[in-house]
Amino acid sequence: MNAENDPELDTLYLIKTGEIKLKEGNKALFEGILKADIKKRLSGVHCALYHREGRYYLLASGRDAEKVEFVLSRMPGVNAWAIAYRAPKTMDRVTAAAFLALASPLAAGATSFKVEARRSDKSFQLDSYAIARTLGESILEKYPQLRVDVHTPHTTVNVEIRDKAYVYCDGIPGVRGLPVGSGGKGLLLLSGGIDSPVAGYKMLCRGLALEALHFTSYPYTSKEAWEKVRELGTILASYTGGLILHTVNITDIQLRIKKEAPSEKSTLYLRACMMMIADSLARQRNLKALITGESLGQVASQTAENMRFTGSYTDYPILRPLVGTDKEETIQIARKIGTYEVSIKPYEDCCVLFAAKHPLIKADFEPEKVMFSAMDLRKDVEDVVRTTESITLPFMFRPRQEP
Amino acid sequence: MSTNYLDWAASAPPFTEIIASSAELASSVFGNPSSLHSSGREALNLLETARNSLAASIGARPGHTIFTSGGTESDAIAMLSSLGLKSDKSIIISAVEHAAIEEQARFLEGAGIKVYRIRPGADGIVDPMAIADAIRSDTVLISVMAVNNETGAIQAIREIADAIHKAAREFIRKPFFHCDAVQALGKIPFAADVSGVDSAAFSAHKFGGPRGIGALYIRTQLQPIVRGGGQERGIRPGTQNTAGAWAMAKAAEKSQEFSTAWHEKALVLEKILLDGVKAIPGAVSIPVSRVPGDIRYSPFIASVAFPGLGGETMARILDDEGILVSTGSACSGKAKGRRVLEAMGVTPELSFSSIRVSTGRDTTQENINNFLEHAATAYRKYKT
Repeated sequence: MNAENDPELDTLYLIKTGEIKLKEGNKALFEGILKADIKKRLSGVHCALYHREGRYYLLASGRDAEKVEFVLSRMPGVNAWAIAYRAPKTMDRVTAAAFLALASPLAAGATSFKVEARRSDKSFQLDSYAIARTLGESILEKYPQLRVDVHTPHTTVNVEIRDKAYVYCDGIPGVRGLPVGSGGKGLLLLSGGIDSPVAGYKMLCRGLALEALHFTSYPYTSKEAWEKVRELGTILASYTGGLILHTVNITDIQLRIKKEAPSEKSTLYLRACMMMIADSLARQRNLKALITGESLGQVASQTAENMRFTGSYTDYPILRPLVGTDKEETIQIARKIGTYEVSIKPYEDCCVLFAAKHPLIKADFEPEKVMFSAMDLRKDVEDVVRTTESITLPFMFRPRQEP
Repeated sequence: MSTNYLDWAASAPPFTEIIASSAELASSVFGNPSSLHSSGREALNLLETARNSLAASIGARPGHTIFTSGGTESDAIAMLSSLGLKSDKSIIISAVEHAAIEEQARFLEGAGIKVYRIRPGADGIVDPMAIADAIRSDTVLISVMAVNNETGAIQAIREIADAIHKAAREFIRKPFFHCDAVQALGKIPFAADVSGVDSAAFSAHKFGGPRGIGALYIRTQLQPIVRGGGQERGIRPGTQNTAGAWAMAKAAEKSQEFSTAWHEKALVLEKILLDGVKAIPGAVSIPVSRVPGDIRYSPFIASVAFPGLGGETMARILDDEGILVSTGSACSGKAKGRRVLEAMGVTPELSFSSIRVSTGRDTTQENINNFLEHAATAYRKYKT
C-alpha cells in the first residue's frame, strides 16, 4: 500500500532544512545522511519519509506524535518542522486545510494572523499574492474574532503549492546546523559540569558525531557522579542519535602527581595527562578531533598559556566551541537542551583533596614541558588507557517530564 | 561477597520473627483501638499489652508511655509544645543534638524563640553545670540527648536533671527537660522514671523493631501541636499502629533481655576496634582521648578518622568490600554534617576524614578485624 494512502498515517510533518540547501556539489550526501538518521531514530515507529523539492515529508500516526516530535526537535540539520495539511490543488480544498491548521493556534488564543503563500507549481490558477488574499478573506469570514496583522501576527498560515497543496501554521524550530556525522566524529571530554555537555551540543550541531570520554577519580569521586555523567551522555545521545561513553579512571595518575609534582602544578599536569589519554583514545577509535568545554579565563587552568601547554600533548585539533562564550550564555543553552538540571546535581567530579589552593595560571611553556617530561607519565597514561570502560548510550525516546 | 554491616546506629537489622508476626497481626487484629465493638476491644487489648511491655522496658509507667511514629516525631512533640506557651521564652539544647532536635530548634528560632546551644567539651560530653548556668527566667525547655549518634558520648542525664532542678529553684518556672534517647534503649541502661527527665524519645528500628513506630515517655501533660481524636492522651492523636506497637514492645523486650550480654560483647568489640585503629599509622578515634572501656561512651558507637582521606571516600572503598559504615562528611569541601564534631572543637580536616562505626547484637570480632584490615589497606593506598 502506498504510504500516502495508509489510513494509519494520519499526520503529516513538513520538515525544513537550512544549511544543507546551501551545499553545492555534495548536497545529496548531506541529504542522504539526514534522511538515514531520521529513519534510524524513528525505527520502530510506523511512518514514511519522503523527500521532494528540498523538503522532507514524514507521514506518521497521531498516536506517535510525541515520539516523532521528540526526534524532529533534536535532529541536527532540521531547521524547523510543522504539522501540515495536504490538499488537492484547488482553492476550496486549500481553504478547508487552512481551517484545520488554524485549530491549534485558535485554541491557544490567537487573535491575529497573516497568510504566506508560495507557489512552485506555476500552473496553479492564482499567484502567491492572490492565494494569500483569497485565503485571508475566507479566514476572516469564518473566524470574525481574528484580524490580519502582517507585522507581528500571532500565527502565520503558510500555503505551499507544490506537487500538492500543503498548509501549515507556525513551524517549530529545530536545532538547525548540519546532519550528525557529516563532519566526521570527535571525542568529547565530558565532565559532570555545565560546560562540556554544551560544548558537545554545539559541535554535534555542526555535524560532528560524538564519542564521549569521562575521567573518574573513583573512589575519591562517587558512583553517583558517574551516573550523572551517564545521564548527561544520554541527553546528548538524544541529539546525536546515540553515543559511546568511555570512562577512564585516572586515580593512580592523580595520586602520583599529588606525590611528586609541586601542588600548584597538579591541575595543569593532570590536564596534560587527560589530553594524552584523549589523544590515545582518539587514535584507537579513529576519531578526528577533541572537544572540550573550556572557556577562556573561566578557571585557572583555562588560560591561553595553559591551553597551549595542555594542547601540546596532542596533534588533534582541540575544538573549544565555548572558548569565547560567557557562563550565562552557556547556562542558557544548557537549560534549553536539558543538561543544566543534571549538571548542577551535587556530585563532585573531583575531590577537594586534589585541588591546590593557588594553581599555576600561566605555564611557562618550554621549562614547564621539560619538568613535565621529567616526570615521565607516559607509561602511567598507557596503563589507565588500557582500563578504559566503554558503554553505548543508544538514542532513546524520553517522554516529557511533567514539571 | 558477604556483607559486614557496621552501621547499626543508622538502623539495626530487624528481628525477623518479630517483623513477620507483626505483619500477621496487622492483618488479623485490624480493628481501631478506639472502636467499642469486639474487634476494637481486641485491638485495644493488643495495644495496651504492648504499652505495658514497652513501659517495663523503658522503666516507665504505662500511663507515661505514648506511641508515636518514631524518634523524630517524639522529639518534635516535645520541642514544638513550647510554642503553645504564652509569654517570652527561650530553650536550651546541647550543640551536639541529632537533627530531629537541632532542626526543630532552628524552626523555633524562626518563630521568635531564643535558642541557647551548649557546647560539649573536647570529649563530646556536656557539662551539667553549663546547662544549669544557662537557665534563665524564660527558659521553657531543655533538650539533651542520652547517647550521641556520631561519637557514642553518653550524656550525664541524671546529673543534668538534678542540676536543672537545683538551678530552677531561683525561678518561678521549672523548665521542661526532654531527652532524645534513641541511641540508648537496649544498649546502655536507661530507666525513664529514675532518669529525671520529663520526656524521652525512642525509635523501634534502632533496636530491631520496624520503621514507623516509636515512643515518647512523658511524665506530665504538654500542649500538643497536632490535634485530633484524642488518642494517646491527646499528645499523639491519630489511629494507633497496633501491630507496630506490638513489634516495638517485643523488640525492646528482647533487647533488654540480652542487654547485659550484648553490652559485654560490645565492650570487647570496642577494644578491638579502638586498639586496631590506633595501630594504623595516622588513624585516630574521635575524640582522640577515647580509650576502650571508658564508661562515658557507648561501646556500640565509635567515630574514627583517617586524616588525609575523606570519610566519604573511605566509606565508598569499604562499601566495595562489603563493609558498611557511615559518614557525616561529604567530599565537597562544604560544611555539611560536621556540626557535631565541630562543636567538640574537632578540626575541619579531622572531621572531614571521619567515619562512624557502629555495632550491634550480631557483630563479630571477625567483622571488626575485617574492617580494620581493609581500612588500613585503603588508607595506605589512598591517603593524600
